[in-house]
Amino acid sequence: MTKTISFILNGDEISCDIQDHWTLLHLLREELGLIGTKEGCGNGECGACTVIVDQLAVNSCLYLAADVQGKQVQTIEGLAVHTGSLHPIQQSFVDNGGIQCGFCTPGMIMSAKALLDKDPKADQEAVKHALAGNICRCTGYVQILDSVAAAGRQMAKNQGEGAAAAKDPGTITQQSMNKKAGEVIT
Amino acid sequence: MSGYNVVGQRVPKLDAAQKAMGRAEYIQDVRLPGMLFGKILYSRHAHARITAMDISKARALPGVHAVLTGKDIPSKMRMGFYKDNPPLKADKVCCFRDEIAAVAAVSEAVAKKAVSLIEVEYEPLPAVFDPEAAMEKNAPLVHEAHKSNVLKLPWKLHYGDVEAADKASAYVVEDRFTTTWVTHCCLSTSGAVALFDASDNLTVYSNTQIPSLAQKDFLETLGAMGLKGKRVRVIKPVIGGGFGSKLDTYAYEHIAILLAHKCRKPVKILFDRKEEFEATSTRQPTVIYIRQGCDKEGHLTFRDIRMVLDNGGRTSWGATTPSVMMMPITSLYRVPNVRYDAKCVYTNNTYAQAMRGYGNPQATFAIESCMDMLAQKAGIDPVAFRRINQNEPGDVTPQGFKITSCGLAQCIDAVEKELTQGRPLEEGEGIGYASLIHVGGGARIYKSDGCGAILKMDDYGRVDIFTGGTDMGQGLDNMIAQIVAEELGLLAEDINVVHTDTDVCPWDVGAHASRSTFVAGNAALWAARRAKQTLLAFGAKLFEVAPEDLVMENRTVSVKNDPEKTMPVDKLLRKAHFSPGGTMLMADYFYDPPNENMGKDFKCNLSVTYSFGVHGVRVHVDKETGKVTVKNYVAAHDVGRAINPMLLEGQVYGGVIMGLGYALSEEVMIKEGQIRNPNFRDYKLFTAKDAVPIKAPVIETHDPDGPFGAKGIGEPGCVPTAPAVANAIYQAVGVRIKDLPITPEKVLAAILKQSKGS
Amino acid sequence: MKPFTLLTPATVEEAVALFGQHKETARYMAGGTDVIVKVKEGWMGPDYLINLKKIPGLNDLHKNEATGELSIGALVTHAMLEQSLLIRNAYPIIYDAVSNIGSLQVRNMGTIGGNLINAVPSADGAIPLIALDGTALLVGPDGERSVMVKDLFVKPYETVLTPGEILTRITIPAQVPRTGSAYIKFGRRAAMELPLIGIGVLLVVDEDLSTCTRARICLGVAGPTPLRAVKAEQMLEGQPVTSDLLTGAGKLAAEESQVRDSVRGQAWHRKEMIRVQVRRMGLRCLDIINQKARQA
Repeated sequence: MTKTISFILNGDEISCDIQDHWTLLHLLREELGLIGTKEGCGNGECGACTVIVDQLAVNSCLYLAADVQGKQVQTIEGLAVHTGSLHPIQQSFVDNGGIQCGFCTPGMIMSAKALLDKDPKADQEAVKHALAGNICRCTGYVQILDSVAAAGRQMAKNQGEGAAAAKDPGTITQQSMNKKAGEVIT
Repeated sequence: MSGYNVVGQRVPKLDAAQKAMGRAEYIQDVRLPGMLFGKILYSRHAHARITAMDISKARALPGVHAVLTGKDIPSKMRMGFYKDNPPLKADKVCCFRDEIAAVAAVSEAVAKKAVSLIEVEYEPLPAVFDPEAAMEKNAPLVHEAHKSNVLKLPWKLHYGDVEAADKASAYVVEDRFTTTWVTHCCLSTSGAVALFDASDNLTVYSNTQIPSLAQKDFLETLGAMGLKGKRVRVIKPVIGGGFGSKLDTYAYEHIAILLAHKCRKPVKILFDRKEEFEATSTRQPTVIYIRQGCDKEGHLTFRDIRMVLDNGGRTSWGATTPSVMMMPITSLYRVPNVRYDAKCVYTNNTYAQAMRGYGNPQATFAIESCMDMLAQKAGIDPVAFRRINQNEPGDVTPQGFKITSCGLAQCIDAVEKELTQGRPLEEGEGIGYASLIHVGGGARIYKSDGCGAILKMDDYGRVDIFTGGTDMGQGLDNMIAQIVAEELGLLAEDINVVHTDTDVCPWDVGAHASRSTFVAGNAALWAARRAKQTLLAFGAKLFEVAPEDLVMENRTVSVKNDPEKTMPVDKLLRKAHFSPGGTMLMADYFYDPPNENMGKDFKCNLSVTYSFGVHGVRVHVDKETGKVTVKNYVAAHDVGRAINPMLLEGQVYGGVIMGLGYALSEEVMIKEGQIRNPNFRDYKLFTAKDAVPIKAPVIETHDPDGPFGAKGIGEPGCVPTAPAVANAIYQAVGVRIKDLPITPEKVLAAILKQSKGS
Repeated sequence: MKPFTLLTPATVEEAVALFGQHKETARYMAGGTDVIVKVKEGWMGPDYLINLKKIPGLNDLHKNEATGELSIGALVTHAMLEQSLLIRNAYPIIYDAVSNIGSLQVRNMGTIGGNLINAVPSADGAIPLIALDGTALLVGPDGERSVMVKDLFVKPYETVLTPGEILTRITIPAQVPRTGSAYIKFGRRAAMELPLIGIGVLLVVDEDLSTCTRARICLGVAGPTPLRAVKAEQMLEGQPVTSDLLTGAGKLAAEESQVRDSVRGQAWHRKEMIRVQVRRMGLRCLDIINQKARQA
């Protein structure tokens, strides 16, 4: 059956027609063209399709599109939009070798974000627990865990620098962005 | 320290930001106008005759554009080097993986539905699932025309005199080891899109590791289809993991081509995860009989290995893994007398392909487990035993491998130091070691082991380099960018590496044998040298000095010892471009290393250089449950030089975890030819929670032939992992597990058996 | 995936009525982590899915301070249980079991009710609820009834629920002082596992902190349904709990089990694990009891 749903996708209120049996993954990839969310297994066993719905990491391959009615959905495409620059988690994955083939990366980053938004100081055990549902075949996880730890430190620091004023707790402040740009030039 | 500015730096992967933003486009994301979706029907039997097939219902389904069966394909079409595999099987199936029909339809759902409407009648045949049983006289023949289940392959060598050495040895051990099926588990499933233009020229989007050889395979397919003289273009989307899985062309690619030609529309075939497990290849399973001896002082005297390889129902590259197994068998440690005999045997199981290490992990599992057994028998400490027999620079091994740079000794030192420092062993803990040798400078398994590079520079000081090499996540882009940037005095970000399209990229034999950094790197380096030569010749005229007096550094060209005479590279490039009779900077190079083809007796210098490594692991064994926990892991490698230490460590970490999966948890469970665990639930990949602390000491031996001294490192990380773990378990609880994977069941069974015996 | 119509009732009564309307062409859905997989794989193909997620109160988790009863709404997710301090402190066996079901993503969606109704022998969620003597409240066309969680299961994929019945909540009776409980899922890896064997133990001891007054030994993947090793429990009750006694109980529990060989593990090893882990979990129960006694 077709119905119309409204929800907030990466900060934008949108309204679209869906079929009842569509998964959120189908809606994002096939209908809305947001190809950043990946399908690795279709059964909730690899985490490549992870998105955040109302602050919770979920497998979009098992989540019905109809169920996002009235909710906030964040996908990998939504992380860098506010500033045009990379989110600290994305930047950290880039800087610390957390990305090889990259297919698990969007889901991995979304799982990390759901955790670090709540607790940027999460210890390694907590990070492993939160990321255990995201399979990576390339990295052996070592540099992914490093990336998440470094991102957490950066996010905690950003919060300390007053980013709390920003809407999205993960958004880079102008101040830290300038500093970042400065680092690149020198 | 190294005197280099870009080489040796931890430059982030060039495509990492794109990937981090979800903007990288994989085969899943390729969508062409008017595209149809293909689906494949597979056999329902391990071994059967197809007596009837009715496709009428499938064809009648609205939205279906084409249905193909084995009867519709050109009779000459055969895949794989042994040419025993038509892309669709007409009369007989030899394994559950056999493709028997395919559909193209307007959507995946319709294609899936259509496939389910195809009715097939089978006459089941007696099947054989054990390779050793398949060698017996009355075993069912998998391919009747082949007359025997044993493939006609030449994997046999004997150097020195093994029997005499055996008799003269002070200590001898022998045993049987087995390794089972494991699979690549690329996070991106396999897929391809094929389309023809109006003149029957073919374009294939495929996540292949061998664009040039795939092009050749697809040209053969066109030939069989009667389309001679047409062009084939292979475009690689971003590859979501390779590990050897994409080293052959598969039925789905050829089927997509056949469907696209029939429908005159682009056709996409994309595997789901179950299909990825059931219809792509595995690592080659083996049964290994090894006998090994040493003299009183612990010098190895001989190594005698016999293997039976389960070839499955069809043949892909798995059947050639013995050619690489020869490397550790003849050349890991100094061993003067060597004999090896491997038989690949048809069964009605699935079949194997290349997988990271290409046979080396299997052979090394037996050799290095056996090394510990022999050391114990000789009463020598396992590490000391390895030192006694270690390879050294200047060695020529029995197979004729000329060892140039070799840091095996330093690797042993580094690992031992890391593992024995600090915390003493606790109850139930043990430490195990294993070493590796692998080709470090490519391997001539094809007529050419070369790679081309084409380089151009623009008016702004930027470089585009078109390489034949393939980045599938391992980081070749960075190797090339950092090598070229170093040579031209630029930054890595100034280099754009293009490796996605056979229309613009030169030939390369493929991303295998840990060869890309070395071979594609050298090709890029030489192209950069040629470009530099041209640019410096122009600069020399401008500054009125000799070219040798110029240096390229920090994006400038300057006269040595004369800081006044300097010019930014981009300005010099524009001067060259816009001067009368203008010059644009372009250069190319085809680098084919002086690697030798294997001769009749397999003697050769297979690779111009070899990589070495030593792994050590501390495990804890729960004696009541059999559960093995890896406490910490050290993997030292002689890499020649680390072009990018961060990406190098990534290769090692990833290899080690893949190796630990091989050792402890991973297994494609096959019962009577059927895969029982085609999903991530029951195929036990390590998760982040299973990740272990790994240290990866890097030994730099500055290889004389490598680009800036570098050797290959893509595969070694997963080569000696399983024997290191098996040896550590033995040290911990005194049981030797000889069959992979080392599950809690196997460990506990051995412990219980041991306690009953004592 | 076969198309279906999603119905979203606002009350349990409405849900039951919708089922009455569509009968066997309809299925209830809670978190969806099992149902959606089954529809995708073609193992079930309902025309209507009745989505229970929007029914207020079904995801309520609270302890009645007056009676000491714990009430877990059927739509409470594994993650809600995992993150509840109440559960973590007072019901460690629930925490142990739910914190390692699937992945965090699955735990954020999957519900305790769904886990029970799915009725697989490996359901981690069932073991602690059986050990805690939990009762399931069922609401259906013919009204309400209560069933002990241990009696919920008939065989794999089948429960005692009649067509149209909904599991709405599980109640756990007030815990007696000096109760300890623990669960272990034994598998090849540390996460994303279905248990090779699941072992839950609950012990209540007398004021001497030694004599067992109540024992529950519950096993997953040890038979067609989650089961209690009653003989082993009896062996402990009335006795001072020692490591040796627990070893004996473990042996008996292994004998009582109906383990089989499967893709995930071999029967003999499963028995060994029951033997060993009953002792280990029993000792952990004692640790918990002693720790609490020291704190008090």
